[in-house]
Amino acid sequence: MLELSNVTKAYPNGSVALNQVNMLVERGEFVFVVGASGAGKTTLTKLLLREEKPTSGKIAINGKNIAKLRPHEVPYLRRSMGVVFQDFRLMPTWTVEENVAFAMVVVETAPRLIRRRVAEVLELVGLANKHAQLPSQLSGGEQQRVALARAIVNKPMLLLADEPTGNLDPETSWGIVKLLLDINSTGTTMLMVTHAKQIVDTLRKRVVELESGCLTRDEKCGIYHG
Amino acid sequence: MVKPRTFGYFFESAGKSLVRNSWMTLASISTVAVSLLVLGIFLLVAVNINAVAANVEGQLQVTAHLATLSAAERGRLETEIKAIPGVTEVRFVPQSEAWQRLLEWYGDNQDFLAGWEEENPLRDSFEIRADVSHRVPEIAAAVTVLAGVEEVLWGREIVEQLLAITRMMRLVGIGLMVALALAALFIIANTIRMAIFARRREIGIMRYIGATNWFIRWPFVIEGLVLGLLGGMMAASVLAWGYYLAVRALVQAIPFWPWVQPWPFLQQLALLLLSIGVVIGILGSGLSLRRYLDA
Ligand SMILES: Nc1ncnc2c1ncn2[C@@H]1O[C@H](COP(=O)(O)OP(=O)(O)OP(=O)(O)O)[C@@H](O)[C@H]1O
Ligand SMILES: [Mg+2]
Repeated sequence: MLELSNVTKAYPNGSVALNQVNMLVERGEFVFVVGASGAGKTTLTKLLLREEKPTSGKIAINGKNIAKLRPHEVPYLRRSMGVVFQDFRLMPTWTVEENVAFAMVVVETAPRLIRRRVAEVLELVGLANKHAQLPSQLSGGEQQRVALARAIVNKPMLLLADEPTGNLDPETSWGIVKLLLDINSTGTTMLMVTHAKQIVDTLRKRVVELESGCLTRDEKCGIYHG
Repeated sequence: MVKPRTFGYFFESAGKSLVRNSWMTLASISTVAVSLLVLGIFLLVAVNINAVAANVEGQLQVTAHLATLSAAERGRLETEIKAIPGVTEVRFVPQSEAWQRLLEWYGDNQDFLAGWEEENPLRDSFEIRADVSHRVPEIAAAVTVLAGVEEVLWGREIVEQLLAITRMMRLVGIGLMVALALAALFIIANTIRMAIFARRREIGIMRYIGATNWFIRWPFVIEGLVLGLLGGMMAASVLAWGYYLAVRALVQAIPFWPWVQPWPFLQQLALLLLSIGVVIGILGSGLSLRRYLDA
């Protein structure tokens, strides 16, 4: 469902963030992307979201080369993916419910369906009782759950998580990771960029390592440092 | 394509933004209103000058002073003049009538004319009217060459001055229009730019949850449109009210002047100002959007 062939990304300032990366991810897989700071992990997610275009190479999602998408097609690519970031990126003046619902408003779902689905997703991430609160009234872990709820509310086939536990303590992190596993078990393909050694080593999922832009390791049941 | 019901969200979003940045909202509505008001006043003056010009033009005529002619010669000449294209009316003014007019013209101060009566220095003439005033010069030229015509007079100066005034008004009008439209455009673009800046976080989120560019743009377009429309409405109402009162007062002061009546002229003017407001609003937001939203 996701295939990178000889993907190279050089930023205009000359720094090469990805160098001839090849990678194949099947539907429903759970993949950790690890590597030192500056290895190119975030660049990889930006390429998948088509926030950046590869300098060369091909990125196929469901067989379609997304490097060749025309600008007006890009939003529809993004609708097939969910994203969460280290910094949550919630609207501070909107309630939990409004933040989650926004993802459905943007894709123009009927209000009736929005209400039902938002309640369902908030139940799933364990925030049903906090639906009317503002992000500032929530803990970091809870805020990330809101972001996660927003990412999955439109049932994406691929979920990108760029250091989703980067700002959270280990215990809270596990709560988020358990949710990610739940989401993955319903068939959503998962790509999680992380520095959390303990999580990677415990779960023994597929691990892809980047080093200065090169893919140096790809193991089926890997650990954080090979 | 954006679904119709989503426009509820767009209007709500635009409304919130307008209220949140209320100072900028007021500033831009006022700027648009003032610009359009000045433009409107200019148009009012221009239309009235035009009306005067048309009035004067309607009275333009060619006067052909004649040599001493027999009745038959004069009849032939009249037929020739009537055959000139554009001539609608030819009237014979005998020298006695011309003298009479002169006396009337000077009224109480006609003493110095006394004594001239016997040998009346004035000549017989034809007064010739044209169907449209811009043909006056060519008719005058055609009459000049006819046998029996000694001298042809027509309001050359008046026609040329009118033309000059009209030309100048047009130039000033275009210049003014462009300058004011640019000012209004600039302020709206600036307001929208601030609105975009205030909502950059929201826009960022919209981007990666798959909002189309139009979905992101619409609220800002509506915002610009509302600014332009409200500015246009303010200008139109102030202008309509002001002109209505002005004409009422002026008609009493100078009744014979051809004032352009408020109705339906004001309706057209209001419509024009509103349309300009709307166009400026949409252009203004489009300007900011192009620079800030298209990655
Ligand atoms: N917009 C950009 N312009 C120029 N260079 C960039 C840009 N973004 C990233 N880079 C460079 O590309 C390289 C990879 O950056 P990237 O953000 O992908 O690293 P990362 O693996 O996500 O690091 P971290 O673990 O710290 O988040 C770095 O050397 C970085 O300086
Ligand atoms: Mg990163």
